[in-house]
Amino acid sequence: MAVVPMKRMTIIAARSDRKAILEYLQRQGEVEIDRESPDDPYYHKIDVSGSRQIFEKNVGLIDQALSVLDTYAPLKTGLLDSMSGRTILSLEDYEKGVAKRDKVMDITHQILSLQKEDAECKASVPKYEISKESLASWMNFDLPLDFKGTKRTKAFIGTLPGEWTMENIYLELGQLSENSDRFDVNLINAETQQTCVMIVCGADDEAELSDALHRMNFAKAPISHAVPSEEAKELDAKIARANAQSANIAAKIMELSAHREDLKFIRDYFKMRADKYEVIGEINQSDRVFILSGYIAAESADSLAEKLNSKYDIVLEFEDPSEDEEVPVKLKNRGYGWPIEGLVENYSMPGKGEIDPSFVTSLFYYICFGLMLSDAAYGLIIALATGVCLYKFKNMEMGLRRNLKMFFFCGIWTVVAGFVFGSFFGDSVSSIAQTFFGVEKAKAGTLLPALWFNPLDNPIKMLTFSFGFGLIHLFTGLGVLIYTDVKNGKVADAIYDGVFWMMFVGGCVGFLLTVPMITNMLGVTALGGNVATVSKWVAIIGVLGVVAFGGRDSASIGGRIGSGLYSAYGITSYLSDVLSYSRLLALGLATSVISSVFNTMAGMVGGALPVFFGVILYAIIFIIGHVLNLAINALGAYVHANRLQYVEFFGKFYHGGGRLFTPFAAKTKFFRIKEDK
Amino acid sequence: MTMGTVFALLGAALAALLAGVGSAIGVGRAGQAAAGVVTEDPNKFSQVLIMQLLPGTQGIYGLLIAFIALTNIGIMGGDANLSTSEGLLYFAACLPMAIVGLISAMQQSNAAVAGIALVNKRPDQFGKAMIFPAMVETYAILALLVSILSIFGVAALH
Repeated sequence: MAVVPMKRMTIIAARSDRKAILEYLQRQGEVEIDRESPDDPYYHKIDVSGSRQIFEKNVGLIDQALSVLDTYAPLKTGLLDSMSGRTILSLEDYEKGVAKRDKVMDITHQILSLQKEDAECKASVPKYEISKESLASWMNFDLPLDFKGTKRTKAFIGTLPGEWTMENIYLELGQLSENSDRFDVNLINAETQQTCVMIVCGADDEAELSDALHRMNFAKAPISHAVPSEEAKELDAKIARANAQSANIAAKIMELSAHREDLKFIRDYFKMRADKYEVIGEINQSDRVFILSGYIAAESADSLAEKLNSKYDIVLEFEDPSEDEEVPVKLKNRGYGWPIEGLVENYSMPGKGEIDPSFVTSLFYYICFGLMLSDAAYGLIIALATGVCLYKFKNMEMGLRRNLKMFFFCGIWTVVAGFVFGSFFGDSVSSIAQTFFGVEKAKAGTLLPALWFNPLDNPIKMLTFSFGFGLIHLFTGLGVLIYTDVKNGKVADAIYDGVFWMMFVGGCVGFLLTVPMITNMLGVTALGGNVATVSKWVAIIGVLGVVAFGGRDSASIGGRIGSGLYSAYGITSYLSDVLSYSRLLALGLATSVISSVFNTMAGMVGGALPVFFGVILYAIIFIIGHVLNLAINALGAYVHANRLQYVEFFGKFYHGGGRLFTPFAAKTKFFRIKEDK
Repeated sequence: MTMGTVFALLGAALAALLAGVGSAIGVGRAGQAAAGVVTEDPNKFSQVLIMQLLPGTQGIYGLLIAFIALTNIGIMGGDANLSTSEGLLYFAACLPMAIVGLISAMQQSNAAVAGIALVNKRPDQFGKAMIFPAMVETYAILALLVSILSIFGVAALH
């Protein structure tokens, strides 16, 4: 449970070692290199953006090629394969693999141009098909469609809208032209939508016929230089050719997919180089040396110094960061608290002087989740599923491992809460016993008794428990505030903001617990004796302290009293904070009531049928219902467990605002290079 | 069949009905926003799906209240003979969940839609984006609590 202490590191080394040192640092991933080095009269920065862009372009090209390979030669991947993490590669293999980069870029370009060619082929097919379709009505026409006529005659080939008979056409032409008897109409094909015709006239009458046809909305036939039936055959051949070519290309791409691993490797190689060049462009260099500065975790400083000194001729300095520096924050936790780092990172990294809240949060987070899901069977499912994945995939990426581990612990606590409050797939034990074994309702309910009590029978007790849990959670938050202030030497602040509030809230709670009206409502026994007097005075001292010191930042006396009174008004926020923990009861009840809805439905259906079908139908309803219930309630438990930490708990002591430590590392996608020891 | 049973059933039906309507509207709205994000970046699917589901819980709470009301009224097995005043008590007990469920689901969906836009621009802020809709849900949970306690309380009266 700690924020890792950082050191500032400065390396001065020969430029001839620049590549080796930077690559070493990148593989180690332990140093955050300053991205803005100060201007210096003796050093300058080198513009390497050109090479960097080339590397990044290559990464993009290979990514495209890989996605082409995924469409043409998809890999069979299971749902769980994404958990197996990046392949580990030794440094030797890495260096051997780099030699392939030109060949791989060649293959990449081949794949991309093949894919482009294939796209053109595939696009041409529908084009041919449309042409073929437009020829369909012309099939029994034995002249080329662009036939214009002979020396003396003119031919008009085209379509008229709607269905026409020969007589109708002559009639219409007769009305539009005086010389219609000199026109020769050939009806080629008549359909409801259009009629294909060839109309021939003498060369002299061309203008007149053209005019008449124009008024009849005549449209020219599709452009084609061949006889339609032959043209259609040719189009068929073209389509077949295009399809064959496309298949051919697909086969070629399939063949190239054998190089998929190489592509992935070189992609990572270029990505690392691009990242490295980004750093090179930002550090100060002279003709002979370069200077590099950054942050490193204090604990890894010595070992890194040792390795670098043994390999290269360098000057290496470590110093403690100065007070006003914004030092990046790295968290370090083990075991139980580690998964919560993700939750903290999601909120905000600890700011200056703040402690790492991961461990103390982990003490409550899993239990909150467990109480809200509160079903032993659901907990078992979650814990087993995540546990098996964690066990099977040792090489899993860190972020995923952290999340799964978090849900593993959540699952464990869900099992605990489930047994404590007597829920295993809701009331499934009682429901199955009643449906299939004829056990009476009263007796069936006692088959799986709750270790403590069943919230369905006594919701008020559970509500009181939730409030009590909330109070402990909030007081722990105040405790952390006091601890942090004391650690930072601000003892007075610890008393004003922590101790007085603890007295104020604690006194109020103690006093309320002596009032019979309240205790009756909560179903607990009223405290007697001196508790009332003691807690009353504790609360009074607390509230006086809050009023006196809550506004200590104000300059004037009036302002100080005013804002002191206002800060005492903050007691209402404690009230709403405590009430907010009623969600532990509400969401817990939601899980068990919905479970029992499905169990009841399954029991009604299953009990009404003969045993064989009854069992099958019961199982179907049971499985569907519980999968649904688990999904929706696990989501609810996750969201609200987060909320209780972020809003209620962190609100008491944690502000964040720190910057996450992001070391210069190999941000690869497929391979992880392992340094030889 | 008594008038009391009618009132009680009306309450139970309203809890499932109004809260369900609210959630349907809410999840629908959030789903539109989520689909928009996925067209740009399919990798954000799981994140925006969680955001979409957040306004869906009110419908479940409504179902829950309806179910425990139905069981206690005696409609699901048992004799459903309530006096008018008992029926009205059940009716009143269901109202918080019905009305708060309807309105909070719709309001929560507004926060969820905004949260989805946030996740689209800054996926690393998912944890915070999730909290804003969850704040609205608090009131649905409080209503759920009052309804549950009232129904158990009313059931203890007779």
